[in-house]
Amino acid sequence: MLKFIGRRLALSLVTLVILILIIFLLTRVFPSEPARQLAGPFAPQERVDELNQALGLDDPLPTQFGRLLGDVITFSFGESFSQPGEQVADLVRPALWNSAKLVVFALVLTVPLSILGGVVAARRKDTLADRAIVNLGLASASIPEFVSAVILQYVIGVRLGWLPPVWLPGEGAGFFTQLRFLLLPALSIVLVYFGYIARITRAGTITALDSDYTRTAYMKGLNTRSVVRRHVLKNSLQSTVAVTGTQVGYLFGGLVALEIVFNYPGLGNLILRAATAPDFPLLQAAVITVAIIFMLSTLAADLLIAWMNPRARLNVRA
Amino acid sequence: MINWTLLDRVRRRANPVERDLIEAHARGAVNRRDFIKRGTVIGLSVPAMTAVLAACGDSDDSTPSTTTGGAEAGGGAAAGGSLIVANQFGDANSGLDPVNMLDLGTYNVISQSFEYLVGLGSDGNIDATALATSWEPNEDGSQWSFTLREGVMWQDGTPLTSADVAATMDRLAAANNAALGGVIGEGSVDASDPAVAVFTLLEPNGNFPVLVSIFNPQSVITPADYSSGTTLDERPAGTGAWILSDFNAAEFVARFERNPNWWGGETPLDAIELRGFSDIGTAVTAMQSRQIDVIQNFSVIGGEGLLDDANFTVLTPPSSNHRQVWFHVSNGQFTDKLVRQAMAWTFDRQQMVDVLFSGRAEIANDHPVLSSLPFFDAEAVPQRSRDIDQARALLAEAGVEGLSATLQCGDLGEVPDLAGIIQQNAAEAGFDLQVNVQSNSTFYGDSWCPGGTDEQPCADADEFGIVDYGHRPIPDVFFSSALASGGVWNSSNFANSDFDTQLTNYRAAIDVDGQKTAISEIQKILWDEVPASYPYFFNFLAGHDASVSGVQATSLGHVVLSGASKSA
Repeated sequence: MLKFIGRRLALSLVTLVILILIIFLLTRVFPSEPARQLAGPFAPQERVDELNQALGLDDPLPTQFGRLLGDVITFSFGESFSQPGEQVADLVRPALWNSAKLVVFALVLTVPLSILGGVVAARRKDTLADRAIVNLGLASASIPEFVSAVILQYVIGVRLGWLPPVWLPGEGAGFFTQLRFLLLPALSIVLVYFGYIARITRAGTITALDSDYTRTAYMKGLNTRSVVRRHVLKNSLQSTVAVTGTQVGYLFGGLVALEIVFNYPGLGNLILRAATAPDFPLLQAAVITVAIIFMLSTLAADLLIAWMNPRARLNVRA
Repeated sequence: MINWTLLDRVRRRANPVERDLIEAHARGAVNRRDFIKRGTVIGLSVPAMTAVLAACGDSDDSTPSTTTGGAEAGGGAAAGGSLIVANQFGDANSGLDPVNMLDLGTYNVISQSFEYLVGLGSDGNIDATALATSWEPNEDGSQWSFTLREGVMWQDGTPLTSADVAATMDRLAAANNAALGGVIGEGSVDASDPAVAVFTLLEPNGNFPVLVSIFNPQSVITPADYSSGTTLDERPAGTGAWILSDFNAAEFVARFERNPNWWGGETPLDAIELRGFSDIGTAVTAMQSRQIDVIQNFSVIGGEGLLDDANFTVLTPPSSNHRQVWFHVSNGQFTDKLVRQAMAWTFDRQQMVDVLFSGRAEIANDHPVLSSLPFFDAEAVPQRSRDIDQARALLAEAGVEGLSATLQCGDLGEVPDLAGIIQQNAAEAGFDLQVNVQSNSTFYGDSWCPGGTDEQPCADADEFGIVDYGHRPIPDVFFSSALASGGVWNSSNFANSDFDTQLTNYRAAIDVDGQKTAISEIQKILWDEVPASYPYFFNFLAGHDASVSGVQATSLGHVVLSGASKSA
């Protein structure tokens, strides 16, 4: 197992370096001149040249890339272009924490609910309950999260007044107050991912229920609950874990529209602002942060799958 | 029936500029409303205005009122507590820099701590409610003296003096502030008397007090030892009602506490919070659910829920807010004025007002002069309306067929929708327009006014685009910055000596007749040359929950909270 973890880690690090290189090159494709942006449209060219030099934008690309790698290791990234005096890390850190709160809460709601839905649908295959879960999940998943967010916000937040529709918990808000404010954004995510994850769980569970080891378990005299818990779930959830792992990275950085709808200060919002400013250090730092989370969540999913299914470890070794 | 004895008594005590206005009102050339507005601009005292109105037989309800500043809680409202204001997310590039700020979100934050020489009156126009208690011009309007309010202290306990005013104005002159460029220079303010700031202008200007008022947002008075680029969060200061206690740049949230030493007395509220929203729709939702108390600005489209809400108070301060559809007159496909005129004739202005504002806007006539201004000349030019035949004829005369162009705009408010309407309107006359909606930062930097030379600051502007202009009570900034030769926001690159001459005449005129003569010519020049088209002026909408009172707003995004309170 340790060897397996080592190999996966090494592979992840190589992937990360390639990702950083791609991000670095992509941010250099922007047509705007950051120094001109910083100095203002009416600043003399000399001031722009000074800034280019001070920011190291005149250096050769390999030098700049090497500096970026160093920044990633120390997680410093220097000063923001668009918010002079603010350290990039100080801007990314709270946004990362906010995104983590939303993603974890959304996953805590989505994953158990989806697994339950998927298992129930599989065990009642081709019944009304199965069709209801599959079709409702499909319908809700086909609506983008920001559309369901606006609907939830208006109906539950504004019309019914049950939950706060916009993220304004106030300074020093307690844990439960924050949960209340997080509920509507999290529900918008649940609506999209429930159908997706439940269907994958259902498919895996049906395969597992039809397998020889399940029949053997029944023949050993185990009751249904034990069979499902000990044998079926461990095998059927591998796809669910893999899919959830890959979605975590997206949830951290890709919920731009959802975060705007709820005025939520997460990484998506930060990336959008950095891209439109444009603020290269902030943009690079935020996107690299998402890339690292993506890598870590995929790695965690792989390790979990390897723990659930020893054959996965053997496959890698082979 | 005019009481000539009373009128003459006031007239004899007045200076030449004031005397001209009094006489214009007495002979009926300036109506009561415009007399009060103009009288306030030139510093005519309230007793003098009241006496003139009485002498001219105006009714009692016409008596001008001057708010003396200070906190006045709404009736029955409880003292204490705090308010949350939904604020436009400020431009991070400028930060809370009073000299270089450019957006409504930052104006509002800055003006909670810093104050202007000339403040906001209860009627939405300028008044002696801020740092200057009175002002007066010399005979030709080339020198203006502002008497500073007594007892005003900076938040660090030092007194405000005319040296602070002089230093602030030097910074603005050095930065070539849009409204003050060409009006004052470095060293224009004489601070030898600490209680009086004497401005010697580069040329006479009959509207100068407006240029150092709340309607020139960057003219907030900052301490003498501030410098251009110093931000409020870096160095909290001010003479205003609120002290910045915390600023979160990432979320654009500014928290303020009451300034216990404010010259206006104790504010009813203990604290205020201005919270940045990058999306107006989200701010409207927060207002509808009462998560916030005040909304700095919202639009008609998407704001219907608030406009129909009986427990929501809509504030519509006077507004000359507009969009300018510019044409680059010296480069590209719009150098021939016939082509520009043709484009302007395609615009369906009524459709724009109806679709984009549900009627809450006024049709404009290709110049930035509001019809309610005293010097507006309704007879100068006919109202331009949609006439496709005329547009086609002009294109044919210009020898242009099937012109294809890209209309540049930022993603701001209704602007992308306006661009869509223009695209459709113009298609019928044979224009093939593409719309390019960009982020605001990219648009302002790359399309609107990219760096040029001192003579032509926007030389590299795109040939055709839409830019936004906020409210100004007089059109001076719209003229001098966007249309005058070498103007700092002149994306049209319009350089017309007749226009420049008339602008000088208008600025130098200290009487309404003189201003009207020049403005009439300006209306004609702009209507004929069409360096830019002005389709409409639209209402500025702000508002608050019914439990809140004492809030004032301007169409430049200021939300004045010094007198605000909230009932339980």
